[in-house]
Amino acid sequence: MTALFVLDVPENEGVLRVAEQDPLLVLDKIGPYYRISGTTDEVLLDRRATGSRHAVWYSAIAGLQDAHIAQHDKDVLRIVSSHRCDAE
Amino acid sequence: MTQNEHRVKGVDHAAFPTFDPAATVRFYRDVLKFPVVHSICAAGWGPEQHPDFIHFFFDIGNDDRIAFFYYFGHQPVGDPQARGDAWARLPEGTPEFFANSRHLAIHVDSEQDLLEYRRRLDESAWPVEMQVMHETIESIYTHDPNGYMIELTRALRPVTPQEDLDAALTIDALCEVATGADPSLEKLLTRKAELIVERAAAWEAAQQPETVSS
Repeated sequence: MTALFVLDVPENEGVLRVAEQDPLLVLDKIGPYYRISGTTDEVLLDRRATGSRHAVWYSAIAGLQDAHIAQHDKDVLRIVSSHRCDAE
Repeated sequence: MTQNEHRVKGVDHAAFPTFDPAATVRFYRDVLKFPVVHSICAAGWGPEQHPDFIHFFFDIGNDDRIAFFYYFGHQPVGDPQARGDAWARLPEGTPEFFANSRHLAIHVDSEQDLLEYRRRLDESAWPVEMQVMHETIESIYTHDPNGYMIELTRALRPVTPQEDLDAALTIDALCEVATGADPSLEKLLTRKAELIVERAAAWEAAQQPETVSS
């Protein structure tokens, strides 16, 4: 399953809150990391909903599982399955 | 790593050359108010006909020091208009981010202290060029009279134990990826996810007794 890991630190609370409320995403915990998995082979997050500062936003990803970063700009993070044909 | 293995005690001194000692003293002693704590006046000697020099030191707190060498009669080499500093001028095409990657960051304890240094710099010939909130620190930056980038920084919060684990996993992944073909951040993060799955749960379990006893 396409997933990203986020470390459990105060700066990442906004990202985790948004992920938790998103019906297309599933959260589980491995040690001090949260794994955010996409139920649709995709994880899409909007920085504006998370309230993260840019420096936090750009350094929030701790790991990628079956994932390719399709977009990571100032507001959008979109990761897709590394096996998906539109992965670029 | 045990306490016995890690015996060092911070920065004794970090040394840099200067061609403008008067401006260097203005910047560090008069503007930043770093005390002059040591100096050596030395005649040059030896097979390389070392020039006479002055080696002088400023206290940067915690008994750590920044030091400068001024060599009498020695002139800078390279294009003075090129990006770089008194130590070296960089080749044409060197990007700014790369030039600025080498810098000295000096710690302060509070926002009040950071803003005090901002005030001192802004009233000087070397005003703050940038004030940035990073992930867990806030910093101000300027370049000293020699072109060296100086950062003053404060922590926004203490570092947590899980950040030490995260750093260890990053570095293990980095060493693997950087010695392989076509290193990239995506490759590093993919390898790091494997290390998280392998090690993070056990790390957390090992933390529990300490948490309970503290």
